[in-house]
Amino acid sequence: MKTDSPGQVKTAPGQSYWSITWRLTWLYTLSASIMLIFASGFLYWVLIATLEKEDEEFLNSRIEVLDRILRTGSKEALENEIDLENVGFTNSQYHTYSRILDESGRTLYEAPGMDREIPSAVFPSAGRSKGKTKRWLSASNKTYQLIAAQAGSDDAGGSTWQIQVALDETNEEILMNQYERYLAAVLLIGILASAAMGAVIARRGMKPLVDIAKTAERVTASQLHERIGAAEWPRELVSLARAFDGMLDRLEDSFDRLSRFSADLAHELRTPINNLRGEAEVALSKPREEQEYREILASSLEEYERLSRMMDSLLFLARAESAQAMLARSRIDVRTEITKVINFYEALAAERKVPVTCAGDGVMDADPILFQRVISNLLSNSLRYTPSGGKIVFSIQDVDNGVEVTCCDSGTGIAQEHLSRIFDRFYQISPSRNPKTDDAGLGLAIVKSIVNLHGGRIGIKSALGEGTSVQVFFPA
Amino acid sequence: MHILIIEDEEKTASFLRKGLTESGYVVDTSGNGDEGLLLALDIDYDLIILDVMLPGRDGWSILETLRRAGRKMPVLFLTARDMVHDRVKGLELGADDYLIKPFAFSELLARVRLLLRRTPQRHNETLQVADLEIEFARQRASRGGSRLDLTSKEFALLSLLARREGEVLSRTLIAEQIWDINFDSDTNVIDVAIRRLRSKVDDPFKKKLIHTVRGVGYVFEDR
Repeated sequence: MKTDSPGQVKTAPGQSYWSITWRLTWLYTLSASIMLIFASGFLYWVLIATLEKEDEEFLNSRIEVLDRILRTGSKEALENEIDLENVGFTNSQYHTYSRILDESGRTLYEAPGMDREIPSAVFPSAGRSKGKTKRWLSASNKTYQLIAAQAGSDDAGGSTWQIQVALDETNEEILMNQYERYLAAVLLIGILASAAMGAVIARRGMKPLVDIAKTAERVTASQLHERIGAAEWPRELVSLARAFDGMLDRLEDSFDRLSRFSADLAHELRTPINNLRGEAEVALSKPREEQEYREILASSLEEYERLSRMMDSLLFLARAESAQAMLARSRIDVRTEITKVINFYEALAAERKVPVTCAGDGVMDADPILFQRVISNLLSNSLRYTPSGGKIVFSIQDVDNGVEVTCCDSGTGIAQEHLSRIFDRFYQISPSRNPKTDDAGLGLAIVKSIVNLHGGRIGIKSALGEGTSVQVFFPA
Repeated sequence: MHILIIEDEEKTASFLRKGLTESGYVVDTSGNGDEGLLLALDIDYDLIILDVMLPGRDGWSILETLRRAGRKMPVLFLTARDMVHDRVKGLELGADDYLIKPFAFSELLARVRLLLRRTPQRHNETLQVADLEIEFARQRASRGGSRLDLTSKEFALLSLLARREGEVLSRTLIAEQIWDINFDSDTNVIDVAIRRLRSKVDDPFKKKLIHTVRGVGYVFEDR
């Protein structure tokens, strides 16, 4: 496998260093091969061992027979036995050749032609006990199993002989060679077959993954509603499919919000820019009085101001969303801060004849300016929708691990269908009803983002004709 | 008073020069960081207005070089990048103030005046404009001899306007100075507060003292 080291060319996207299918195939083949090799190796070994043991036993029995005849002292019987040892066995694989040596190593008797084929020197040295066998290849390219043993009387002074017996194994050798070739062929075929099967199995196993990828590919920006969880996936992939769908849900939601936001933004920009352009065009179309020019410039200035403020708010929201460290938290007395904002709005509230009051107490850690901004936006909003004679009440409640501030007005209220989107940027319940709002529908969005920045919660309750109450919770 | 503006955006430099010249300052401009730095080291300016993003050499580096050379003139930063760490960096390097684009010219003028005001503002005990008299210590104001019935906030608002007679004050500045509200808020509030103040200070009298400058703010003046 390639390693990713600096300077090396990286693979193009879409390619990867290895495929799971190949890995699985490779591992499967490897394990199957190891099993096959072990199994056939073991069988082969057992066969060889068994054959060798049989041969050895046969040779030993020959030595015993010859030994017994030697002990009888009958030379004739011995010569008979050695000459005729292969008579009647012509078709058998067991062709043996025997030789008797005296103490000094001289040949007393041997099977006919044996001295040319198997000289006595090639035999292993004789032992008292059952001798070790030795494998030997003769000049005529025949394989023999050789054995030598001491024989004769055990008592001291008695003459001892040496018996040498050779077993012709050439047929057995040919058989074994054939067997080995078959075994190798079987092994090779087995390994190839297991590789092929492994590839098929791995491919089948990976198929759901390929399918899931294909489904995922169908999801494009214009088809964000596609979901992959609908099909029946194997258990291992269910959680992946679910996670993927969850991600799509969030993505679709943000995407919707974003496109709505862009549209709203364009719309909101269009109005002031249209004013500016129109005014300037008309102003330049003919010479005018100085006073008129002043009016036009002043009017543009108002539009610029509107644009500036909108931009500031949008930048604020963008920054709050990317959660850059912008909180300058300090311990604040909630009531003091709210009272400060209420005082600021005093003149406006008095003019609208909507008294604003504050009840309760609380202390918490928050950014004081941002908190004031929350209160200011809430109050400004409530004042806008509360008719003269109504009232606005801020109540502070020290709750578990935080402070809850409720802004409750007796205004016109908000219909249920708007509540879920009321905190969205640029969302205005009816744009025509309040054409000259100051915040272009960004006020509550800013409130929400400030509350989120502080790790708090926001909620809204409203009934048409009865009023609205916005509840914000800040962790202490 | 001699001011240097280092700003590569020509239109910005041009309106700044125009506005400041008309406000009685002598203004030089430079559109390049290196050239601007040479000018700043060469001539003893009273104030430098500095853009952050400049060709040649950026504002940070100019400010750093100036301060290392021992120049202590006030520096006002202009930046389009409203990032918290940018502000912090500017102030750490020794900038005296900063303004984020887009800014109101009146805002810039107010800050320039504040930075150039070497002697502390006169805090007269009383102030007389036309037939209006303000006694600051006693929190009393009267016009044509009859006492005006003002709330404490209204008195503070009148005092602010009168003390900076002839200076156009933006709504943001008024909110900041009177109510200590340091964020963009409902501008209606200031308009209403001024309206209520006018109803007591100006409406009953023929001569008007509080004037609206459309699109900018309010000015107190005996016209």
